Amino acid sequence: MTTVFAVSGRLTAADEVSYNFQVRPILAEHCFKCHGSDAKQRKGKLRLDTREGAMEKKSIVPGKPDESEFIKRLITTDEEDLMPPPKEHRPMSAEKIALLRRWVEQGAVYQKHWSFIPPVKAPLPPVASADGKPLHPIDQLVRAKLQQQGIKPAEPAKREAWLRRVSLDLTGLPPTLEELDDFLRDESDGAFEKVVDRLLGSTAYGERMATDWMDVARFADTFGRHEDADSAVFPYRDWVIKAFNRNLPYDQFVIQQTAGDMLPGATQDMYIATAFNRLVQQSNEAGSNEEEFRCEHVADRMRTNGSAFLGLSLECARCHNHKYDPITMKDYYSMSWFLSNVDELGLYSRYTDAVPAPSLLIYKDNDESRHAELKLRITTLERQREAMRGEAWGRFNQWTNAGGRPAVAKPVVHIPLESFDAKAAENLADPKHPGAVRRKPSDKPALGRVGKALHLEGDNWVSVRDVGDFSRTHPFSLSIWVKITAIQPRAVLIHHSRAGLDAASRGYEILLEDGKPSFALSHFYPGNALRVRMKQALPLNTWTQIVATYDGSSRAAGAKLFINGFPVETDVVRDHLYKDIVYEKTAKDLTDVEEVALAAGGRYNDQALKEAYIDDLKCFDRQLTPVEVRVLSESASQSKPEEWFEWYLREVDGPWRAATDKLTEARKQENELSMTLGEMMVMREMPIEPRPVFVLERGRFDARREQVQPGTPESVLPFPDDLPRNRLGFAKWLVDRRNPLTARVYVNRVWQIFFGRGIVGTSEEFGMQGELPTHPELLDWLAVDFMEGAWNVKALCRQIALSATYRQSVVPTDLALLKDDPDNRLLARGPRQRLTAEQLRDSALAVSGLLSHEVGGPSVKPYQPDGLYDEAGVQAAYDQDHGDKLHRRSLYTYWKRTLPPPTMTVFDAPTREFCKMRRDRSASPLQALVLFNDPQFIEAARVLADKLVGQYPQDDAARIRTAYRLLTNQTPSDWQMQVMTKSLQTEREELAKEPALADKILHVGEAESSKSLPPAEVAATASVLRALMAYDEFVMKP
Amino acid sequence: MTQCHNHWSPLGLTRREMLNRFGLGIGGLALADMLSSAQASQGGLAGLPHFAPKAKRVIFLLMSGGPSQIESFDYKPELTRLMGQDLPLSYRGGKDKPLPGMAGNQSRFPLVGSPFKFKQHGQSGAWVSDLFPHTAKVVDDMCFVKSMCSEAVNHDPALALMQTGSQISGRPSIGAWVSYGLGTDNRDLPSFIVLVTKKNVDQPLSCRLWDSAFLPTHYQGVQFRSGRDAVLYLNEPSGVTRASTRRMLDMLGAMHGKEREVFPDAEITTRMEQYEMAFRMQTSVPEATDLSKEPQSVLDLYGPDATKPGSFAANCILARRLAERNVKFIQLYHPGWDHHGKLVEGFQKIVPEIDQPCAGLIQDLKQRDMLKDTLVVWGGEFGRTSYAQTVDPSKSGGSVYGRDHHRECFTFWMAGGGIKPGITYGSSCDLGYNVASDPVTINDFHATMLHLLGVDHERLTFRFQGRDFKLTDLAGKVVKGVLA
Repeated sequence: MTTVFAVSGRLTAADEVSYNFQVRPILAEHCFKCHGSDAKQRKGKLRLDTREGAMEKKSIVPGKPDESEFIKRLITTDEEDLMPPPKEHRPMSAEKIALLRRWVEQGAVYQKHWSFIPPVKAPLPPVASADGKPLHPIDQLVRAKLQQQGIKPAEPAKREAWLRRVSLDLTGLPPTLEELDDFLRDESDGAFEKVVDRLLGSTAYGERMATDWMDVARFADTFGRHEDADSAVFPYRDWVIKAFNRNLPYDQFVIQQTAGDMLPGATQDMYIATAFNRLVQQSNEAGSNEEEFRCEHVADRMRTNGSAFLGLSLECARCHNHKYDPITMKDYYSMSWFLSNVDELGLYSRYTDAVPAPSLLIYKDNDESRHAELKLRITTLERQREAMRGEAWGRFNQWTNAGGRPAVAKPVVHIPLESFDAKAAENLADPKHPGAVRRKPSDKPALGRVGKALHLEGDNWVSVRDVGDFSRTHPFSLSIWVKITAIQPRAVLIHHSRAGLDAASRGYEILLEDGKPSFALSHFYPGNALRVRMKQALPLNTWTQIVATYDGSSRAAGAKLFINGFPVETDVVRDHLYKDIVYEKTAKDLTDVEEVALAAGGRYNDQALKEAYIDDLKCFDRQLTPVEVRVLSESASQSKPEEWFEWYLREVDGPWRAATDKLTEARKQENELSMTLGEMMVMREMPIEPRPVFVLERGRFDARREQVQPGTPESVLPFPDDLPRNRLGFAKWLVDRRNPLTARVYVNRVWQIFFGRGIVGTSEEFGMQGELPTHPELLDWLAVDFMEGAWNVKALCRQIALSATYRQSVVPTDLALLKDDPDNRLLARGPRQRLTAEQLRDSALAVSGLLSHEVGGPSVKPYQPDGLYDEAGVQAAYDQDHGDKLHRRSLYTYWKRTLPPPTMTVFDAPTREFCKMRRDRSASPLQALVLFNDPQFIEAARVLADKLVGQYPQDDAARIRTAYRLLTNQTPSDWQMQVMTKSLQTEREELAKEPALADKILHVGEAESSKSLPPAEVAATASVLRALMAYDEFVMKP
Repeated sequence: MTQCHNHWSPLGLTRREMLNRFGLGIGGLALADMLSSAQASQGGLAGLPHFAPKAKRVIFLLMSGGPSQIESFDYKPELTRLMGQDLPLSYRGGKDKPLPGMAGNQSRFPLVGSPFKFKQHGQSGAWVSDLFPHTAKVVDDMCFVKSMCSEAVNHDPALALMQTGSQISGRPSIGAWVSYGLGTDNRDLPSFIVLVTKKNVDQPLSCRLWDSAFLPTHYQGVQFRSGRDAVLYLNEPSGVTRASTRRMLDMLGAMHGKEREVFPDAEITTRMEQYEMAFRMQTSVPEATDLSKEPQSVLDLYGPDATKPGSFAANCILARRLAERNVKFIQLYHPGWDHHGKLVEGFQKIVPEIDQPCAGLIQDLKQRDMLKDTLVVWGGEFGRTSYAQTVDPSKSGGSVYGRDHHRECFTFWMAGGGIKPGITYGSSCDLGYNVASDPVTINDFHATMLHLLGVDHERLTFRFQGRDFKLTDLAGKVVKGVLA
């Protein structure tokens, strides 16, 4: 069908043949199978899909059709030579052959794929309306094509029908009776404009446009994989609503979602917008490889960005060069660089409710200034305390002279590892909290640094519970002796946590990474954590003491490592800890995993030390001073008195200690605030070093090949030199005026909102394998106009909504068109589609008056069939909401990716697991069951019945007429009135036979029902309304 | 999604299909004609089946979580003999790189054998562990495939691979492919029905596993639930009577009929048709799911859980009833096999939930002469390791060990529907770790399943985003050795 319209559809001068729109479709249908890009299928070593190929064997001689074998073969009478071969049963029509001939005559010009050629506004065809009035360019371009085919456009739709249509399209809601009557009365010139402007100005407009975008952004309230836990990302949804309502230009809409965090002076909103690239499906399955899943995240971003902005299925090039479009694997991975450079883990946490970093703390009310004040206060207090040193020296000297003697801090945990078994390891510092060794070593007790040691065999660590539970504001220190016999890529030396990967390392730890001690504090590693790593590896087969100290500052500079008593040089690996490292009481509690503990030698489901020995584990509840560390290491025989100054400050000096208390208090307050603020996943660039990106063979995460630099596919638009090679540059590349795709893809998408079908039917695919546009000039005119008009989305909607094309009746002038052009590709009539899942439910709520008009906020849980989660084995309970929350717009309905709301998916809503640019519009009996029996619809019917009976207690006709107008916005005909009033009478009679039923009907759903009205009357009316809510005129957009 | 589908769909239509029908002049057929064809085969692609099918329908018993082959059907005495010794490096291809999964963090990989005794059964002499006394009785009807292998080691992608042929989410489920290709033999019931055992586990099944993905929406599996509403919203809410629904349909019929005279839109007819079908489902579904009339002798076949709604036993009976009504693809899930620890205890609890029902299903189908054209398949998304996880069995009394996920080699059984009975196909190595002979990949398994249904897996395609997608993606060979 595409071909038929495309061949005759191009409006260029009749004598100029278009390769893209006329020739290529013919070649694709008849020739490319054997003479196309697939070398394996190729016959006679001839390819016709490139000009070089066609010239190579002089198959085509430009300008000389009679000398071209290509043409000769099409017209020969020799069955042997004839192309396409008769046995293929794809004979070419004389019309097509004539066209190809003309094309060769004109020089056989090949073109780039149409969508890669930047759009331009073609001259408008001289078409006027029947009454001679000038037409909008949209209508000129649509009608020119109709004229060409000798087809008349449909009559304008009735005003009621247009109003219903435009209200549903622009707000997702039907008009009220007042709006309907106002419009029918308004005979002024600008009546239509007034309606469109009113609709565009309503908040419901933003909600409607956002609903559409949610499918693209794969927005949902859960992570999607494995346990499918909740992920509160509703601020992103609210940002989208706001963006549409304040008419954020589309280029900004794209830039902010792609790189809002990198804009100068980025606001909270701009950060929130970047959640677009974090809404990937995530897993928390134990035993997952975090790099594997991180690569999946990047792949999902590529797929989403490709479809949403460029209309290209880039994912093909993840495993091999794109078969059809000029996009190579290298292009793919170069572009993925931009979307890879984020400090994410690849998994969400199994044992905490932490928001996967990087994240943004979300401020409300005066949170932001409070937080800023606290941070400023901390800095000020730090400086003030620092300034006290000078004076403190005097006091220190006095104290020393007065005979003050220092003493090394006492540990709060001290496990000498002299006597231990699986049950208990002596804790000298705190005998009430003995440690435990997971399994006794298989051999005899090993010789330790002093006495005995614990021989680690990979699964026998020592742990102590209920100790060392330090917050990030609390200074602390750790000390241990270790002897390793081999270098492991990763091994846990000491940790205080519930788990490693499965808790995103919440807590603190010392790892040996390639033998290098590395000390970290994490809320959610790596994006919300600090880590310092020693530059050198530990010596093998040598007892070495490792001490880590931390000052409570939440900064990497406050974390220090000492070897054998002396500080060592470290690299800062991460320095962005902004939430606490302790476990909250609210976190899920699962069996089979040791609870939070301080442990040395290993950790459940992590890499433990193997063939290593540890001895004398200590933990201190303060930051040890260098001299204490040295004393502790027993490597320093002597210390100078002045070395104890820091110790003196910490332990003795009154003013200093008072200043410390104040500082700690401020830090605690800041920490507490950080834990109560909202938080959401956002994009941030990698700290310190950009993430290297490699071509991955067959897309496998562990098959790294060539390293790539950031870039974009040359075939679309080479990366301009004046843009930075980072995500912000990528965002600007997307909306660069020279980018041939972005504007086209978006105007097409908006067109799809109004007409149910894009000008390019495959709105997700503008590549070679997508459909050709039915109206290429129209698409290009809209795209260029959109860009010239500063990407004004409301203006775009306005001109489509006010076009004569859109205003047409759904009944074509010639009924045969229903059959000949079932998809309405010619646009010779108005759009007619079933309402979307959201529009159906929202309409029912709106007409009944139940609809809550609250905008934004956390998602809500309306009615859902009993036991739905239970039957699916979901452990979480569905806590259905009550009151107004039952009746929010469907945009706010809680969306669980593994089990989305069934009343939505049955009407073709996607699961939101990945980007979806277009929904099916199917019809199934399951939909009928929802309309008939979903309590939501019955409740709406009986609440509306309540109102109507109250309004028209005696007048059946008035009651029915009003109901019909509310539900369909049309005036019922006489025969319709007859059928409906008779129906009402029947229901009334039936209910009279069994009065108990009426009361039950009035109790479907939680909305109050009027007590004063006769139940049977309300119930009978509700029954008729129930039927009307399944009626074509309610279910369809007219 | 833009291609013309020259076919009818089993239960529901895309807009395109509705319009095509109108275009073909079928829209004008009397409604009654369309609705009276409950048992006729309809829908499906032109030219399908490609050849005479051996199986008319499939019952797939998916044990999600990954059951251990070693404690069930793959007898490995060598593991008991070598108890506590490490898995030799040679079995891992000599590579000392970390193993995937949780056990990757273990320092040792101590082998552990099944504590359950194994015996040979039936004429075929199939080895079955003592935990499966009922299955043991029907082994001569079964074909054990001991050389299954997967590519994925985590549940989510492994289930996706098992159900859609690809680890990447967003591909249609097997059942959806089958309905798309073959249509339905019963227009009053969905052609792809999903039954999930009602139990609490920490691995909920995602509805993506029975999704139609890029195939039209109505090919997606319909989950039948154990309660009053087997299908969501099947019944009227309290107070609304069936008679009232009938009257409502009549009112709509009158209004739609008249409307069509003015505006001959095929969609109106279709909608009305779907409404009537829904109304008939309100009868046909309860009838199909009503186990109360099953005689005691049948209930006894499936064991003591047979009368417990939502149990695997009850779902097996339901599966048989749906099979009798010619539902094409019946997918059962029984979760809870993820035994990382305490495998023995876990097995003792879970195996009795499925042993007798599985055997009962085979026997029941056989006594109704339906086994010959009903393909029954049993298996998980992967198997489990030959070595213990969590604890060293040789040092801890032996019973608290678990096993990690294992994709290299595991066991399925198949029966009926053109499968050669009483054989074992393929084998594992002496330690049950690797496939020793005749590997069967998930794509091979799918190709074979489609083959039995009369479908050439290479030719069941759907064009999406310019590519012809297949259930078997770019791979898959029919496993000839299991065919009768």
